[in-house]
Amino acid sequence: METKPVVVCMWNLGQGGLPVGTEEALTLGRKVASATGARLHLLVLGPLPEECLETAGRFGADDVDQIEDAALEGFAPDAYVDALAGYCQQESPALILFSQAADTRLVAPRLAGRVGAGVLMNGVDISVGESGGLQATASAYGGDTQMVYELSGAASYVVALSANALLPEPAEGGPTQPGCRSIQVDLSGVNERIRVIEQARTEGPRLEDADIIVSGGRGLGGPENYKLIEQLAEALGGLAGASRPIVDEGWVDSSQQVGLTGKITRPALYLAAGISGASQHMAGCSAAKTIVAINKDPDAAIFRYASYGLVGDCLEILPELIRAARQ
Amino acid sequence: MRIVVCVKEVLDPDAVNNYALAGRLEIGEDGKSLTQTTIPRLMNGFDEQALEAALRLRDAGAECRIGAVSAGPDSTTILKHAAALGVDEIASLPMEEPSPDYHVVAALLAAYVRSSGDADLVLCGRQASDDDQGVVPALICEALGMPLVTNARAIELAPASDEPTLRITRVTPDGDEVVEVSCPAVVTVSNELGEPRYPTAAKKMAARRMKPEIITAEGLSLSPEALQPRVAAQRQFVPTVSGDCEFLPGETPAALAEALIARLRQESVIS
Repeated sequence: METKPVVVCMWNLGQGGLPVGTEEALTLGRKVASATGARLHLLVLGPLPEECLETAGRFGADDVDQIEDAALEGFAPDAYVDALAGYCQQESPALILFSQAADTRLVAPRLAGRVGAGVLMNGVDISVGESGGLQATASAYGGDTQMVYELSGAASYVVALSANALLPEPAEGGPTQPGCRSIQVDLSGVNERIRVIEQARTEGPRLEDADIIVSGGRGLGGPENYKLIEQLAEALGGLAGASRPIVDEGWVDSSQQVGLTGKITRPALYLAAGISGASQHMAGCSAAKTIVAINKDPDAAIFRYASYGLVGDCLEILPELIRAARQ
Repeated sequence: MRIVVCVKEVLDPDAVNNYALAGRLEIGEDGKSLTQTTIPRLMNGFDEQALEAALRLRDAGAECRIGAVSAGPDSTTILKHAAALGVDEIASLPMEEPSPDYHVVAALLAAYVRSSGDADLVLCGRQASDDDQGVVPALICEALGMPLVTNARAIELAPASDEPTLRITRVTPDGDEVVEVSCPAVVTVSNELGEPRYPTAAKKMAARRMKPEIITAEGLSLSPEALQPRVAAQRQFVPTVSGDCEFLPGETPAALAEALIARLRQESVIS
């Protein structure tokens, strides 16, 4: 009997190219597929993005499966769950991988509930355990701990891979030549039950895409001092972010919150002023190439993550940084 | 309308963070439980906000009956807290396992909603701050055949609807989105909702007399298959964070700032 396939799932919202995290999901999918002798599929809901076949091949996919239907235009969670459930009935995958993003919880665990699969979010790794079954590791307590789970008792599993959980690695031995298959699923009965009255509109650049982020936390002392963060971000040509405590206290809008329940960022430079380094916050920025921390306490947790540290009062250092950056 | 709020007891995530950073987080003999008795147990913060969302609907004039339900080893404290905040009924689903399978939890909660008279609205926190999973609300909505809206920051009854309809402002990466959904529905709430209220002394006194209804799995007539775990926790550990921070020198804030900007320019991190 052929081993049931491993499927990496994505939807195309016209973002041009594959969604962030798809290469990482393909990397993990290929690892599991190789270990279990399964085929690796990339499943696209909606039109195929540019370079889709090339990227899928570079990361070792055997097939690119596509489900296309008018019901899948725009973000349509009910249609997505129906399409994926239909796909699971046809293909019986052992593992369905998602790259975890803000709205993955509207789809992945619902799919699991629909088809009777097991489900796990915040995945960081999947391996074959001693018993021969799959074991998944997921982060907990905002990243303070990790939990290892045995995936047994269900015929298939849905796992969402945390942003920044691993680095994408192209397939060893060079790219594959994935075949492209059109999968037919009947979506005529889909009734999207959530009616969008006002669409979210992006105003200006997004924190998730920023190359430079300057973030402030409680160490700023009060909301009147947050302007120092904004000024330094502007001087460096970046965007201003915040830790969750000051968002909760109303200093800053939640759209600027960096962290596990805020924005997941991966800038070239992340400068954190007056932020303690709680794991929940670091989950949103630990993938930055360079992290700079300013904190009075040289033992502050954030220095564990930082490349460069400045020990001192951020209210005294920030004005000097603004001045030096403008020269 | 009937509102059911699902609440969970968790270890204080800030205390866990502090112990983990100090390298003193204790894992129990089972290899997966956190055994520090000095870490406080409290209601999951997002679930407090789900309660707050229910109470705000009532404050806004919605005619509703609010129930709070908790599945866990010992839910008495948090259910009393819910009672003190002003819910009308509290129910407990006792469980022996401290970190049970999410599918089992969702099956129990969904069966409770069904058997206790259904609900027009099921409110949950967006995720628990212990495992951060956030899958139970979606599993509940599939079990009950309800639509799911996530990350609500405001929930109100939509005006002039033939059937009860909710208008929900939800948080997305691109900003706030306003959606409408007909009841019944499952909605998760996030910290953007705002500060949950504190119980008044009078309500605390009244809450002392409220006793949670005890619900057992046997009483919910669930199939053995529904109670079969699919994702079993095996081991919990603290991952190592490898730090290699270079502390830049400088006697004054100006010197520190100049050292940093010079270094970042030297490394071409900034222009």
